[in-house]
Amino acid sequence: MSDVTMTPTSPSNGASNRTSPLQWVRVNLFSSVSNTIQTIVFTAITLGLLRALLGQAFSEEADWTSVSTNLRLLMIYNYPADQIIRIWVSAAVVLLAAGLSLGAWKVEPGYTVGRLGRHLVGLGLFSLVTRLLLPVHAPDTVRTWLIIIGVVSLVAGVVVQRGDPDGDRVMGFGTVLSGVALTFLAVLWLVPFGQYGLVDGVLVAESGTTVASSTKVPWTVLLIIVVASHRVGIILGRALGRSLRAALAAFWVVGPAFVIFVILRDPAFDWAHVWSTDIPIAAMFGLGGAAVLYFVAAPGKTEVARAVGAMLFAFALFNWVAAFFGWYPMLQKVRISFLIFAIVVLLVPAFAGDRSTRRRVAGGWVAAMVVFHWLLTAINTESTLVITAPPFLGGFVLTVGIAYYVMLASFPLGVLLSLARTSKLPIFRVMSTGYIEVIRGVPLITVLFFFSIMLPLFLPKGMGISDLAAVFAGYTVFSAAYMAENVRGGLQSVRRGQYEAADALGLTTVQRTSLIVLPQALRVSIPNLVGQAIAVFKETSLIAIVGGFDLLRIANSTIPNQPDFLGQKRPGLLFISLVYFVFAYSMSKSSQRLEARLKDAQAR
Amino acid sequence: MSQTSSSSAIHYGTTKPPLWRNVAVLKWCAQLAVLLGVLAVFWFLIAEARTNLAAKSIPVGYDWLDNPANFQLGEGIQTVDTPERSLTMSRALWVGMVNTLRIAALGIIFSTLLGVLVGISRLSKNFVAQRFSSAYVEGLRNIPVLVQIILWLAILGSLGKLTPDTGPIPGWVIVSQKGISLPRVFLADGFYQFAALMLVFVVGIVAVRRQLKRRQDRDGGDLRIGLWTFVLFVISAAIAWLINPIMAFLGPIFGAIEDAWGAVPQGAMQLLLCVIAVVGVITWIRKFLDSKRSPAGLAKLTDDDWFRMIFSVFVGVVAVFVVVRGWPGLSSWIINSGSDFWGVLGDKFGDGRGAKPLDAMRPTLTEGRFVNFGDTGLTLTVFYASIFLGLVFYTSAFIAEVVRGGILAVPSGQSEAAAALGLTRAQALRKVVLPQAFRVIMPPLGNQYLNITKNTSLGIAVGFSEIVQVGQTVYNKNSQTLAVFSIYMIFYLSCSLSISSVVNTINRRLAIVER
Repeated sequence: MSDVTMTPTSPSNGASNRTSPLQWVRVNLFSSVSNTIQTIVFTAITLGLLRALLGQAFSEEADWTSVSTNLRLLMIYNYPADQIIRIWVSAAVVLLAAGLSLGAWKVEPGYTVGRLGRHLVGLGLFSLVTRLLLPVHAPDTVRTWLIIIGVVSLVAGVVVQRGDPDGDRVMGFGTVLSGVALTFLAVLWLVPFGQYGLVDGVLVAESGTTVASSTKVPWTVLLIIVVASHRVGIILGRALGRSLRAALAAFWVVGPAFVIFVILRDPAFDWAHVWSTDIPIAAMFGLGGAAVLYFVAAPGKTEVARAVGAMLFAFALFNWVAAFFGWYPMLQKVRISFLIFAIVVLLVPAFAGDRSTRRRVAGGWVAAMVVFHWLLTAINTESTLVITAPPFLGGFVLTVGIAYYVMLASFPLGVLLSLARTSKLPIFRVMSTGYIEVIRGVPLITVLFFFSIMLPLFLPKGMGISDLAAVFAGYTVFSAAYMAENVRGGLQSVRRGQYEAADALGLTTVQRTSLIVLPQALRVSIPNLVGQAIAVFKETSLIAIVGGFDLLRIANSTIPNQPDFLGQKRPGLLFISLVYFVFAYSMSKSSQRLEARLKDAQAR
Repeated sequence: MSQTSSSSAIHYGTTKPPLWRNVAVLKWCAQLAVLLGVLAVFWFLIAEARTNLAAKSIPVGYDWLDNPANFQLGEGIQTVDTPERSLTMSRALWVGMVNTLRIAALGIIFSTLLGVLVGISRLSKNFVAQRFSSAYVEGLRNIPVLVQIILWLAILGSLGKLTPDTGPIPGWVIVSQKGISLPRVFLADGFYQFAALMLVFVVGIVAVRRQLKRRQDRDGGDLRIGLWTFVLFVISAAIAWLINPIMAFLGPIFGAIEDAWGAVPQGAMQLLLCVIAVVGVITWIRKFLDSKRSPAGLAKLTDDDWFRMIFSVFVGVVAVFVVVRGWPGLSSWIINSGSDFWGVLGDKFGDGRGAKPLDAMRPTLTEGRFVNFGDTGLTLTVFYASIFLGLVFYTSAFIAEVVRGGILAVPSGQSEAAAALGLTRAQALRKVVLPQAFRVIMPPLGNQYLNITKNTSLGIAVGFSEIVQVGQTVYNKNSQTLAVFSIYMIFYLSCSLSISSVVNTINRRLAIVER
């Protein structure tokens, strides 16, 4: 499985454009006795492993139609087929934002033409070697396509290298993106994948035709959206700058939840209830809160804000005590809103300013409340979808969704924990240290089991939690401990002088932490945080053990139990390994690039 | 923070702030409030859990540990109820723990070996070696370990059926659906005589070594100490192999010790244990105070230091109390087991035991199954093999990165300086580069060892009877979820603590080398 990116004998290091291939081989592979021995030994190991891997992939009983037939299952699990347009719309929304963000932040991978040529040559040689090592049971189409891919990319690679003899012309990200999209489109429209489907439990296969146009057309549209929105993002980024980036950042926080709970889940709003209860509550908190915030966000109003905030905080806590003893009824979301409002009022003096700042604070609050209440209402409303197997999310969508939201939810928790662990307040420090060390000492699977089994026991009567939500809570609690350690590393790298300077300027503790310390600490810990994100993404596979239908569960138990593909485990498992690999590898590569960029920025 | 603000208030002679504006007071209030809040939430949750458990009439406690398990284990030191030893719940959990530790220990050894090899070959100047190892690392660490384990299980499960002539080498190495079986080397009767004789020889070799080293330091030159040590060791091993029966005289001596140990009165042992505890605490505190002492006198002790000293006194008092009142059986247990130990050791040297120190055995098959007990081959079941292979390959990729990073962290000036001193490349690597690289490698390596130990819990996905899987079977049977989870937590935390304390000890040793 390690040989996915193998390029056993491809030239590299930019040496190929000055020296001839023969010279290169002599210098790099056979310069001395030990070098020759290494070359022979490692080539033998590489070819042997590749052969073994291919033997597993194309063994006599391996049936790859089990994967191609079940692609939809692997991607979206049991999402109803007549509602599938929702999936496409969600994908379009997310990809649109992704394209805009890539453009707005001017991401440049620094991919040179020379590297493209070398990669193409490597791919070509790799496909040809693979073709030679294929076991006898491999289907003929695979053989043919490996030869076609090998020859085409070899020729393309040589041509590209000829076209740029110095090999240092940098390709823009737009070009790379368009190239990838075009390749993908060509594969989609030209390669005869064969169209498979399970109709009423019976396998219907029409080999030789291309992918169904119900899949092909949306993908084409999506790819066009990505390329176009990247372009638009660059242009808009020049015109709008910071406000566009702020809007996009806000989208990445709430957008996915919106996509999952509003677009994918399609809540059946009870409009009478919405008009009579939900909208008035949202309006009360939004407008009333905005007025209060506008008033207290003025520079001289610190004392007032603190007094009001403390009172609100006490009231918010009292609401829960009252709920425990059943003194007076109150909607849960009102309690939560009061708590959030109290915290915001307490924090607002740190960001006080002139009239426009106050207007921004108030406006931001209104927007946040609207989105928050809409989401809460949507989450608490029954879905209109008719789903045969209960979790409406599954497959790849579940893997990505859980990974994304665990990261997002555990981030603030982790930051708080790391601040507590590095603070001078002994009780906070001891509590946070205990939490972090205990959680880091036990395996994730026990935490997930604990939450999925024990959380329902801990809850009071009448309060329930879905299996997936319990698992999500457990995973967040677990991930926060690791997140805290990563952020702590960043916090420790902030020099004492920064704290002292902030104190000398007369900043309060909140201001010092949020405006001076955290920005520097987080920038340092970004590479570690991305590493943590990769770990979270990979370990979502553990959800399969506690009952979620993620990629692994589908490949390991759903597909092998279908009557047409009894016992077909290996193709599915190899396929999902490839999916995990592609995502985790590209994340780690981009994190390395980010690290290099941050180092450059610091050096300057 | 609180100190600065209050001292500045005194300095400027302003009036002391009122209580609700005093930063120190406010900070303590906030902390206490949060602590109370957390405690209240916990109290609330536990109360809810108790009512919910009571509603289902599930008792809270650990009494069930002595109940019979009534289930079978997949593999381990005991899998079923036997007449000699019944399989209780606690015994089943213990078997699970041993399985976990077994796989963790083996995984640590093999992934370190593999990881070091790959990490070094990633630094090789050879193109193929470098590319192979980077593909190895990137490929293995970017695929979830659980997927790899399950893939291994699928691959092993698709192997051929188990017959006597299965294998790459029939009769010796057998790879089949049932697992992987290899010949095993085990300790035979003569081993203890052999080991005792070797101990004597090793003392001699160490003395010779020291002598050689002294002469080399005095006269200079290269006396090839390593080579001589090796040759002497091989020669003495050969001699010990041949004449090991002469050590049989140790048997009666150990027998005499057994009798003497058994005759110790219980009161004397209690007294001895108490003295050890008290002396231990006093020594620790003196050492601790010494470490705080500088030429200028004793440094100011922080709250933390006081807490540590008070805590150690507390531990000592508890230990004395346990020995005298809490658990009087402890001292008689020590007496009995000590005398048993010498008795067993004496039996190992009994007369007529002069055979080979080591023996080997090929895998045995009866009725198409491996025989797992007695002097037979070493068998890994498919479950064991899949989790072992998955963990070893996955972790070795991370260890390779750790090793590579550690070696790269040694500045190139170090090896250049070693070359300038005239050291060979091997000497430079062994004496200059590796010791420094180790210092960088050790902490992240310890982290990887912790990860292996925790990842053994994934055995539950393939049905390997490690602690989490056994625990799940237990709580599915008797609903004692909370108790089982507390056992998980204690077990894993003690594993983590012991691994990290070993790593920290090694780290401290390495750090002393620096000075």
